[in-house]
Amino acid sequence: MKTVEEINQRIKDGDAVVVTAAEMTSLVKDNGLKETAKEVDVVTTGTFGAMCSSGAFLNFGHSDPPIKMSRTFINGVEAYSGLAAVDAYLGATQPNRNPDVGLEHGGAHVIEDLIRGEEVELYAEAYGTDCYPLTEIKTQISLESLNQAIMVNPRNCYQNYAAATNSTDETLYTYMGTLLPNNGNVSYSSAGELSPLLNDPYFQTIGTGTRIFLCGAQGYIMGEGTQFATDVERKNGVPVSTAGNLMLKGDMKEMDADFVRGATMPKYGPTLYVGAGIPIPVLNEEIAKRTAISDEEIECRIIDYGVTRRSKPTVRPANYHELKTGTIELDGVEVPTSPLSSHKKALEIALELKKWIDKGEFYLTSPVEKLPTEGLVVKPLEIQKPSILVKDLKGEALILARPNDQINEVAQKMVKNSINHLPVVDERNKLLGIVTSWDIANAVAHGKKNLTDVMTKKVIIAREEEPVDVIARRIDKNKISGLPVIDKDNRVKGMVTAEDISRLIGGD
Amino acid sequence: MKAWLTFSPSIVNRAIISDLVKNFEITFNILRADITPKGGKMLIEIGGKQRKQAIKFLEKEGIKLTPIKKVVKKDEEKCIDCGACISLCPVKAICPADDWTVDVDDQLCIGCGFCTFSCPTRAIKVTE
Repeated sequence: MKTVEEINQRIKDGDAVVVTAAEMTSLVKDNGLKETAKEVDVVTTGTFGAMCSSGAFLNFGHSDPPIKMSRTFINGVEAYSGLAAVDAYLGATQPNRNPDVGLEHGGAHVIEDLIRGEEVELYAEAYGTDCYPLTEIKTQISLESLNQAIMVNPRNCYQNYAAATNSTDETLYTYMGTLLPNNGNVSYSSAGELSPLLNDPYFQTIGTGTRIFLCGAQGYIMGEGTQFATDVERKNGVPVSTAGNLMLKGDMKEMDADFVRGATMPKYGPTLYVGAGIPIPVLNEEIAKRTAISDEEIECRIIDYGVTRRSKPTVRPANYHELKTGTIELDGVEVPTSPLSSHKKALEIALELKKWIDKGEFYLTSPVEKLPTEGLVVKPLEIQKPSILVKDLKGEALILARPNDQINEVAQKMVKNSINHLPVVDERNKLLGIVTSWDIANAVAHGKKNLTDVMTKKVIIAREEEPVDVIARRIDKNKISGLPVIDKDNRVKGMVTAEDISRLIGGD
Repeated sequence: MKAWLTFSPSIVNRAIISDLVKNFEITFNILRADITPKGGKMLIEIGGKQRKQAIKFLEKEGIKLTPIKKVVKKDEEKCIDCGACISLCPVKAICPADDWTVDVDDQLCIGCGFCTFSCPTRAIKVTE
């Protein structure tokens, strides 16, 4: 019907009809597909989300005397410099080496600082060679002083992404933001109907070499991103889970700090908010139909981040229209939702790209190479030494207390067996609480006679099928020294202590 | 109006709040409370016809009352309107506008600080 060359001629002549993906949805609804496909030349998309897999190649130039940098820090954030002498790759999620700063100002923040034109400190170490004698350098640099600052993001613009909730009874801090206990909230990250790869789900126009909007500059798609998958479940033509994504590049010297931002997900770490917009040439009715997709037609899965395993269970499917209303029903309860990616910025980006095209400052490209459309699945990383599960730990003899035990009996039991924790169970060995030597001291001090008055009823537990590494993290996070092991029927099977775990890690 | 009530150790075991609710025609809502035998503070919202008399009564009983005005503030430069805070607010004081601008409502905020800690760009501050 149309070609990219014809559309570019119309852009040159100032005649091209450019609309955003959101406008396209209503245009097709109001005027029909046939009419709209003929009328519209370009649909612009946009997204502004936390994209952890981002970073930048920096070339510092040569000092006199010269140095071959082997460890490099920019404002205290390490950049990988195992490439030539004065090149480094600064990754967005790298924390600051100063523990007082830590996650608050990492790689992503330094990238933003540079784009804002700020001076940053460069510190590098080297082992010294005949051609590069200097072994240490400390100086100030800025975006202007760098030879090149090229943003190269290995995995951006995920086609779709699962929404997150948390079924456990503690708050979780994740890359999907803060997740409240007992499914207290849901966070989702896709821009929905504005999102680039949801508007061209079969990669009919987007491919290697496509010119795009990247953080306020004209950038390019380098090809498929890492963890790219094709063989996924689709609904209305679009994947219901992660699937495709893009590797992007752009010149940081041309970027605008309004469209890129260093951020920190609390207790998770730094991440970069990347603004990306991709133009889709409306070459035929099929492409027009795909760009007219609405939030109602795009589905994703809400998954439970309370399960800290690779496969997390799906709680329910949801479409973006539902998620964007601000609440969603989970098990009969209205749960508030948070977008995580900025819909306001996503629309600003789609409009900015439209403006560039309208003014004849941006021309469309045909891909040099198509993106893969079949045969790619994401393979897991198998640990050759399988992870040790709680049930694999050698348990000591099971020592338990009953709720009506006398305090002095319990004290004797602890001393006799040299233990500090004792699970309190009912007649079927179901867990009722836990009592520690501190609780016993407390009972004696306050003249309390009943075990039920001093035991802790809200007990942090370990399940038999959980990996020991997950338990080690739980012990550390809750600052406890041990926890009862529970089977599927909530019966106590034993105790696992910090000592058991350190013996395991220190041993064999 | 919203205010902090400060309880000194000498009055923590007196039933002032129940007297207050029984004797005055007011609406009274406890937003936060942290009172121990060593004294403490309570964040309240008080309204109704006899509000002024009720406040006089509280002050007579030895409670220090400090009205609060601005509680939550958004740094427009830093905020990227991502909305991570929206679902964390227990009183729906943070809502998206039609264009997805994140709006915070001073009147509704109880100053719990959950949004402050969870903001990816540290754009929300709770101040009094």
